Amino acid sequence: MASRQRYDFLLYGLFVAAILLAPLMLDEFWLNRIAKYLVFGMLGVAVALSWGYAGILNLGQGLFFGAGAYMLAMSLKLASPTSLQQGSDTPVPDFMLWNAEPGALTQLCCINKGSFIWLPFQSQWFGVAMGIVLPVVIATITGLIVFRNRISGVFVSIITLALVLLVRLLVIDAQPLTNGFNGLTDLAWLTIGAFQSDPYSRATYYLVAIALSLVLVGARLLVSTRAGLILQATRDDETRARYLGLDVPSYQIFFFVVSAAICGFAGMLYVMVSEFASPTFMDLSFSITMVVWAAVGGRSSILGACVGAILINMIEAKVSETKALVEVWKAVVGLIFVLVVLYLPRGLGGFAHDLLDRWRAPATEAASDEGLVAESRDALAERG
Amino acid sequence: MAATALTIDGLEVSFGSVKAVNNVTMTIAEGELRVLLGANGAGKTTLMDLISGRTHSTSGHIHLYDTEITNWQEHRIARAGIGRKFQIPSVFRELTVRQNFEVASCRNPSVFANLGFGFSRHALARIEEVLAIVDLRDKADVTAAYLSHGQTQWLELGLLMLQDPKVILLDEPTAGMTAAETKKTANIINSMRGKHTLLVVEHDMAFVREIAERITVLHLGEVLAEGDIASIETNEAVRRAYLGSRSIS
Repeated sequence: MASRQRYDFLLYGLFVAAILLAPLMLDEFWLNRIAKYLVFGMLGVAVALSWGYAGILNLGQGLFFGAGAYMLAMSLKLASPTSLQQGSDTPVPDFMLWNAEPGALTQLCCINKGSFIWLPFQSQWFGVAMGIVLPVVIATITGLIVFRNRISGVFVSIITLALVLLVRLLVIDAQPLTNGFNGLTDLAWLTIGAFQSDPYSRATYYLVAIALSLVLVGARLLVSTRAGLILQATRDDETRARYLGLDVPSYQIFFFVVSAAICGFAGMLYVMVSEFASPTFMDLSFSITMVVWAAVGGRSSILGACVGAILINMIEAKVSETKALVEVWKAVVGLIFVLVVLYLPRGLGGFAHDLLDRWRAPATEAASDEGLVAESRDALAERG
Repeated sequence: MAATALTIDGLEVSFGSVKAVNNVTMTIAEGELRVLLGANGAGKTTLMDLISGRTHSTSGHIHLYDTEITNWQEHRIARAGIGRKFQIPSVFRELTVRQNFEVASCRNPSVFANLGFGFSRHALARIEEVLAIVDLRDKADVTAAYLSHGQTQWLELGLLMLQDPKVILLDEPTAGMTAAETKKTANIINSMRGKHTLLVVEHDMAFVREIAERITVLHLGEVLAEGDIASIETNEAVRRAYLGSRSIS
């Protein structure tokens, strides 16, 4: 077991080194793309935590991703030049003016009925903090209701799925407040001291790469704590865990919330590298896509799910831009999913573990081979 | 005289119009090994469900020593000191044997207390001891799903030993076992005697003779008789109700 952990950490080290060294080989255009994929990799980590380790198939991860994204985007929207140049003391987002009723006061406090919600977002750090706080609050409330009432399995998936669609509808419906379908665009860069989150700069790429490395290693350490072990126990047999005296819902809620916080964080990073936030983040298809990434990468492996998300997106980009495949690229990607699910049910991560085991086994296998030979010799002798 | 570990007083539960457990009263002394006998539908498993909190009673009381635990939540009852082994072995199938034992030795139930790594030297030593008792030492790093039926049962017994509750409920610990496995299970249970108070549901009379001190016979949700094995085997009411007119086994 111990040596397996050592290999595990070696693989994590290789991955972190690879994403940190990537800028040496790539131009800014590709760096920006890869940065987006790294954010998706972070979503893979979140799915692996809740699906692979807690056994909770959350089909609404997009809700937490979207919440994180919108919170930061609101702050960055207010900081953008167009919002600052509306001729009022407070910045006012352009779309609020387009939607304003005739004669409305051009002030953030009262241009429409709900616009006062935007006031605290004038501070960039409020947006950053809310990007984590809001997903955590939503996840805690949802978790308390769902897990304290012992709802499990497919019902959790249905509830989370309904929730993300509900919030998406609300966001689209609140057009004067959220710019509805169009989402928040024309955002400023996040400024931290001398650093500005220019999405095509190396610095922003490094910010994303380091954030992913920290989340990845943090999640891996978290599942190797005692709490992580107990969580896996509750996944295998909730009743047994309960009769050992463990408060099962508190473990489920805790990891559900951690997973939500990671999604919120990823949402903020995504806003930095793509410069927009949109209700499509809360589309059903996006939440399901995350689950597919994790399934291909291996949901029981945090690194596997992360690599799966990055690889699939790179393959999609490559295939969809290859001339011969422009028409059929979706079929090609679909075929890859089908093949992986059929032949590697535990995903790439599971496959890698099997390979490792086989590679490390020769010593022990040779010993047991000898045993086998001896056994068959005995059998032959008996027969003879 | 030893203290009373478990007191059941006028316990009743009904499912619709059926009284599955009807006015059951019994006391089990500290360190005692009590066997529950009864035909199918006599209410043995339901009684265990009531004690461990899986089913809520409609009336009556259950005390663990001086604490009333009637209708508490399962994990609180477990923490108060009642462990339970299920009829169908229930272990953490995707974890290794050792990991199963590690989970059972987590003393503190809260998430935040368990955010640390590793286990105390004392806990690890205890895990080794239990591995030896249930004879799973050479399977310690095997995933529980790959164990045989008997080994899975012993694994679950090991979980209970590590949980270290005052009272242990065992629901048919030898179901589906070979004679040799049954013998080994009897040894394991005998090794738990004295350290824990045990309440065992069992059908296998050979096994009952191996372990039993006192026997309580349930019939249609009621206590029919109570006594040592000789008096139960000769009890007329028990013969009529449970065994028909022929003698035991």
